[in-house]
Amino acid sequence: MTASLTSTRRGLFGLAAGFAALSLADTAHAAAKRGGKLIYGRYADSLFLDPVLNDANVDIWVINSVYDTLLLPTADGLGVQEGLASKWAFSDGGKTLTLTVRPGVKFSDGSALKITDVKWSLDRARDPKAGAWNDMIASIDAVEVAGPDSIVLKLKTPDPTILAALATFNTGIMSQALFEATPGATPDDKAKAFAEKPVGTGPFMLVEWKRNQVMRLARNPHYWRMAEDGKPLPYVDELEFQIIPDDNTRILKLKAGELHGSEFIPLARVKELQADANLRMELWPSTKVTYLSMMVKPTLADGKPNPLSNQKVRQALNYAVNKDAVIAITTLGLGKPMRSFMSSTTPLFDGPAPLYPYDLAKAKALLAEAGFSGGFEVSCMTVAGNQDNLNNLTTVQQMWAAIGVKLKIEQMDNPSLTKKYRAEDFQMRTAAWTNDISDPGQITSYFAYGPNIHALHSGWDDKRLNEVFLASQQETDPAKRRVQYQEIQKIYADAATIVPLYETPYTVAWRKNVSGFVQIPLGNNYFVGAAIG
Amino acid sequence: MPRLGWLLGRLLQIVPTFLLIGIAVFVLARLLPGDAVSAMLGDRASDETINRLTAQLGLNRSLGAQLLAFLSAAVQGDFGASLSRHVPVLRLVAEALPVTLSLVAIATVLALAIALPLAFIAALNANRWPDIAIRAVFQVGLSSPVFYIGLILLTVFAGWLGWFPVGGYGETFGEHLYHLFLPGLTLSLSFAAVVMRNLRAAVLAVLTAEYVDFARAKGLARSVVLLRHVLRNALIATVTLVGLHVGALLGGAVITETVFAVPGVGRLMIDSIFARDYPVIQALTLVLAVLVSLAFLVTDFVQMWLDPRVGR
Repeated sequence: MTASLTSTRRGLFGLAAGFAALSLADTAHAAAKRGGKLIYGRYADSLFLDPVLNDANVDIWVINSVYDTLLLPTADGLGVQEGLASKWAFSDGGKTLTLTVRPGVKFSDGSALKITDVKWSLDRARDPKAGAWNDMIASIDAVEVAGPDSIVLKLKTPDPTILAALATFNTGIMSQALFEATPGATPDDKAKAFAEKPVGTGPFMLVEWKRNQVMRLARNPHYWRMAEDGKPLPYVDELEFQIIPDDNTRILKLKAGELHGSEFIPLARVKELQADANLRMELWPSTKVTYLSMMVKPTLADGKPNPLSNQKVRQALNYAVNKDAVIAITTLGLGKPMRSFMSSTTPLFDGPAPLYPYDLAKAKALLAEAGFSGGFEVSCMTVAGNQDNLNNLTTVQQMWAAIGVKLKIEQMDNPSLTKKYRAEDFQMRTAAWTNDISDPGQITSYFAYGPNIHALHSGWDDKRLNEVFLASQQETDPAKRRVQYQEIQKIYADAATIVPLYETPYTVAWRKNVSGFVQIPLGNNYFVGAAIG
Repeated sequence: MPRLGWLLGRLLQIVPTFLLIGIAVFVLARLLPGDAVSAMLGDRASDETINRLTAQLGLNRSLGAQLLAFLSAAVQGDFGASLSRHVPVLRLVAEALPVTLSLVAIATVLALAIALPLAFIAALNANRWPDIAIRAVFQVGLSSPVFYIGLILLTVFAGWLGWFPVGGYGETFGEHLYHLFLPGLTLSLSFAAVVMRNLRAAVLAVLTAEYVDFARAKGLARSVVLLRHVLRNALIATVTLVGLHVGALLGGAVITETVFAVPGVGRLMIDSIFARDYPVIQALTLVLAVLVSLAFLVTDFVQMWLDPRVGR
């Protein structure tokens, strides 16, 4: 359990020390050295550094180094703080949001940030024809310039998620003039060219990008934010991402001192690195939840009857899984049981106790009540080669055997799995989820709200939950919204359309002389406060 | 000039080969379940977003229309843009190809440098201890998976001893060679084992040939007999093997490049297959087909030089 203690300590550390004054940068090294090149090992390269048009975490999690948003997330993932905007206020019953953009901000090429850039960027981000993320700011009806440093968002309806959305990657602020001056016949062509040499107001600027090999960023000399000592951020002169897909190689490289830090340390290696005197293993609280999702339609796509359409069967399957054992086996004790379908780091999370604690007798009784005391066969699809998922499934397989349920594991590659998932042609599926926005609305719209994607393509559709969710999307009173989310999480837990397995932290290992890196629960990496001591 | 005609014929065969490969790879890539857009957008995007992007990328056109567009553009050297990385495919290939070619070249040189002398030593000591020892060691090399050999070499020579960098590719030519040595060695071992066994058998066969007895009887020096008569004749089969094996090396490069973080075409290919990035898959397969065809052609050349009967 030392590991989860560490996890908590790091989390609190990031919260209390790092964010109180400086935000997304530790104060532990206020006297930290400046300069140097920070080398970070990543498991995969970025694909498309466009705030609006990207679609993958490999972009989302690093794009904040280049682009700023009007607001920034707090390190605990629960709130927002000043970003390019230094002040904001609602009026008109929550339907108007006025933001004051701080003066004197410059892009990394030295040109000044204009208020029209803000309007242009937000308009681009909310274009329903652009990218996959415009839904997150669909409540915006119009973006108006109200003065040289003032921007006004007119909302269609009050939107409790709008502040979080303005701290989310897709609302990153770009330079209209630079974008339009980029060669390319269409806006899409321009976006492609621009994303290769992106210019933003963020702490770093891209100087070289060799695909699949290395990405080099240099400190943005015009960056607006100052460290506690009054000197400009970031601390390091250069930031180098080396792409090393193999976990073992990445760790070896870190141990050999060829890297300062490495992301995605496999949970199985965490204890070993914790014991390494040269390294510091960081476990960042995350929004990552790992679960099995179920089809609840009475008939499967192949025409066979589906026992999982029976709520009691689903609850029985849940009670029959010993989550603590799964956590011990797959995460080596680094995970923790889920108390809601959303992670405990999600705003408005409400989980009084771990869901469906292991109870074999109850599981058997529920199955008998449902008329399945003889058991049945169920199949679950998983991405081939994902060892954690396979460990989970083989463990669950044995546990379900105790109630007569035979689990068939179907391995396939990711695009095949995605296709079957979207076509709702499956019985069960393993998956993990991380939030993209610091608000429970996103995960709820995918997991629980029927009309979006049929609640994880399960076919589950609960009228009451749908109503409460729609109301919550316009509820600006935090207390009332909290009550709504309590109900949503209660309804969803009772329905048992997923088997919640565990929450796990993000694992990042550093050489001991590096401090100040922050990874927020959404996964975004903040190198702005990182320093080499 | 019958041999020139034969060579021209070999060159001309390449053209329909490429066309067939082009069509085959186009069709095969699309037979894979799942499509580029949902692979790209994952499971979160709405159907509306998926449909919009599918149309934008022209993936909603009929397969025939897409194939025609692909072939006519490919003939003009235009392979389009990567669907997942949004940069011209040719640039990705041009960046990754020299890396893999260097890797394969180093692996081939290392394999030959290891296999040729050892094959001779083994053959000349057939069934005595040097032969048995060499064969035993290579049996291990041949039967160990590439990723495992890579892992061991990386851990020992880069991790523990620190003689080599732990993966990567470096910046300068010298650094490239330095970085590619361990992956090259990894890739070369199973290849060296095949060449060694093959060449050993060939040398043994040649050693008992009458013309060798004759050469010896003529009183030629042992070294002359070995180099001029034995080596040259034993190499004919080995050259074919080396040529054929270049394709296998390119395949092995996929794993080696992943383990050693080498930014070559192997990794690009794997990433692109997982992303269903059709333009990259197509271009890479074509380029690899060209390379393998060229390797075969070079093999034919060398064979012709070694064995004057070829091409007559």
